[in-house]
Amino acid sequence: MNILSLQFLLGVVFLTIIFLHLIRKNFGAVIAYGIQSFATVLILFGFFFETKNVSLLLVIFVAFAIKVILAPIFFITLIQKHELTFLTSTYLSTPLTLIVLAVLTALAHSQKFLPLTTIVPAHHALLSLALSAIFISLFLIINRKEAVSQALGILSFENGIVVFAIFAGLEQSPILQIGIIFDIFVWIIIAAVFLSMIYRQFQSLDTSLMRHLKD
Amino acid sequence: MEFIIVISLFPVAALIAMIAKRRSVIECASISAALFVCIASITVALKVASSGDYAPSRFFIIDALGALVMLIISCVGCAAVAYSIQYLRKETAKKIIGFTRVKQYFILLNLFLSAMLLAVSTSNPIFAWISIEATTLSTAFLISFYNKPSAMEAAWKYLIINSIGLLLGFFGTLLYFTASKIESGAGLATWHDLLSHAARLDPMIVQIAFIFILIGYGTKVGFAPMHTWLPDAHSKAPAPISALLSGVLLNVALLVVLRFKVITDAAIGSDFSQKLFIAFGLLSILVSALIMLTQKNYKRLLAYSSIENMGITALGFGFGGLGIFAAILHMLYHALVKSALFLTAGNIFLTYGSTKIANVKGVLRVLPITSVLFFAGIFIITGAPPFGIFLTKLFTFSAGILTHPAVTVIAVLLTTLVFIGLFKHATSMVFGDKPPEMQQKKEDTWLILPPLVLFVLALCIGFYQPQFLQILLHNAAVPF
Repeated sequence: MNILSLQFLLGVVFLTIIFLHLIRKNFGAVIAYGIQSFATVLILFGFFFETKNVSLLLVIFVAFAIKVILAPIFFITLIQKHELTFLTSTYLSTPLTLIVLAVLTALAHSQKFLPLTTIVPAHHALLSLALSAIFISLFLIINRKEAVSQALGILSFENGIVVFAIFAGLEQSPILQIGIIFDIFVWIIIAAVFLSMIYRQFQSLDTSLMRHLKD
Repeated sequence: MEFIIVISLFPVAALIAMIAKRRSVIECASISAALFVCIASITVALKVASSGDYAPSRFFIIDALGALVMLIISCVGCAAVAYSIQYLRKETAKKIIGFTRVKQYFILLNLFLSAMLLAVSTSNPIFAWISIEATTLSTAFLISFYNKPSAMEAAWKYLIINSIGLLLGFFGTLLYFTASKIESGAGLATWHDLLSHAARLDPMIVQIAFIFILIGYGTKVGFAPMHTWLPDAHSKAPAPISALLSGVLLNVALLVVLRFKVITDAAIGSDFSQKLFIAFGLLSILVSALIMLTQKNYKRLLAYSSIENMGITALGFGFGGLGIFAAILHMLYHALVKSALFLTAGNIFLTYGSTKIANVKGVLRVLPITSVLFFAGIFIITGAPPFGIFLTKLFTFSAGILTHPAVTVIAVLLTTLVFIGLFKHATSMVFGDKPPEMQQKKEDTWLILPPLVLFVLALCIGFYQPQFLQILLHNAAVPF
């Protein structure tokens, strides 16, 4: 896969995270995550053409099944079951959110993180963008009040790390990658169960309403 | 053989709990697994003490520090399983939980113990990460066990904060592979491979990676300011789970941080990691000391005490020299005493039905044995002489006063605040008039025995350490 295609796919990953920051509907957020995961799997597929490692195909298949198919299905079922159409608000307003996103993206491209973004000098631009994706995913988890967004933020964060690892040449052996994906799969199931339980308890997924525990 | 027992019996017990239709079968399988794992862990520890690192296969290696943490997991695990049986019977008698919940509890408890044993024994850093993540996943439902809004809130917070932490830790872990990928091919590189390639790591990358590791796994250790999940989770989980979270899980996560510290020190010298350990250690002691003074919930009080003790341990590793030996010994004492304290807190909760300090008065009159154990535990955990924790704190501060006098003085002042905070609350709970409706109760032997055994173990180790333990403690300190 040529560098332009990789840049395009990474651009998709990055833009879907930006979209997750701005969207106000749960369904759209889950679809955005699905697209982002699909782009991540395609990047992994591109890496397969480079290495010709057949066992990587199994990883790609498992990642596709779990991240692109199963995870969105879990979340969409949950949204439909509880009629959770709209996401609740963010801690920061949209203009402030955009400013923070710009700052985080600039930070990932700054000299401070040059040692990380030049692990593979030829992939400097790609690694900077992947690092930006990691940072803004982290901010998504912090900034969103709603539990579904927080869960999607965690999953986007994981996608960002996977993409960074691929471009930095730090990918793990297939058996470990499957172990990691299996962990993520269990995490998705547990998160989905918790989201249901939280909704039953609080009649909302707004985590800012959870105020039982204080010192 | 002994290692197969260590890693396979808890999953087998979980499987039995999954398919069994009778409560006694589940209890019997769990306690048998815990006892056999305890014996097998001691055998492994003896082997490590006599012949050095124990590597049953290329996927597993147990060094001296790993053997010590494995002993902690198995001993506290055994006490927690034994205590859980009677604790859950009491809860069932009160109609708080039914058979299905008991079943779920033992499945998750056995998986939790199994994941911790894998995390300390694996030779691969990524597999260690997978195991630590598995501890998060297995305990999330145990924290929300009572299905109350507050328990749900604690569990969600635990899941999200720890997942963020662990992903940061994962990112940091990957960065350590930048040197080893060149030769061995990334992925199956072991801790040893990372250490042997450490000199070739880019110093800047190592610094960034270690910060990610310390923040990431440090979240699981309970270092401030990433500690916010800890008091919530520990206060909402059933008492035996709180004992395991506080006494064992924090040490397991710390072990992973320490393994990366050794690699980092080999790459860029120990100065960088020591400074970070001191910063996080002092901040943890500061935050916990201030909050403990005004704490209103005794389980949260114990949870903050764990943060403080992890801070002391971090200071020990940060100060270096004698501080390292003291820190390792402190991990051991804290695990035993804090677990015992959470179990006695469980007895108080079963009787008073509240975790609020204001609602618990005159425990000495209602639960005499529990109150004596609880008060003794508070006495030991604060570092009062002549117990082991007094010595470890003394050694830590002795090491610190030479190299970091200002930090040491602040830490000593803060531990004084901790002492005041813990005693103030413990005194108000243990002494004073009992509520009129409370009568003195005949205490259940099976709820007294597990914490008592842990206290006795801590006391024995404080005054006499068997030779194999001395060797393990010495060897565990060598890499630092």
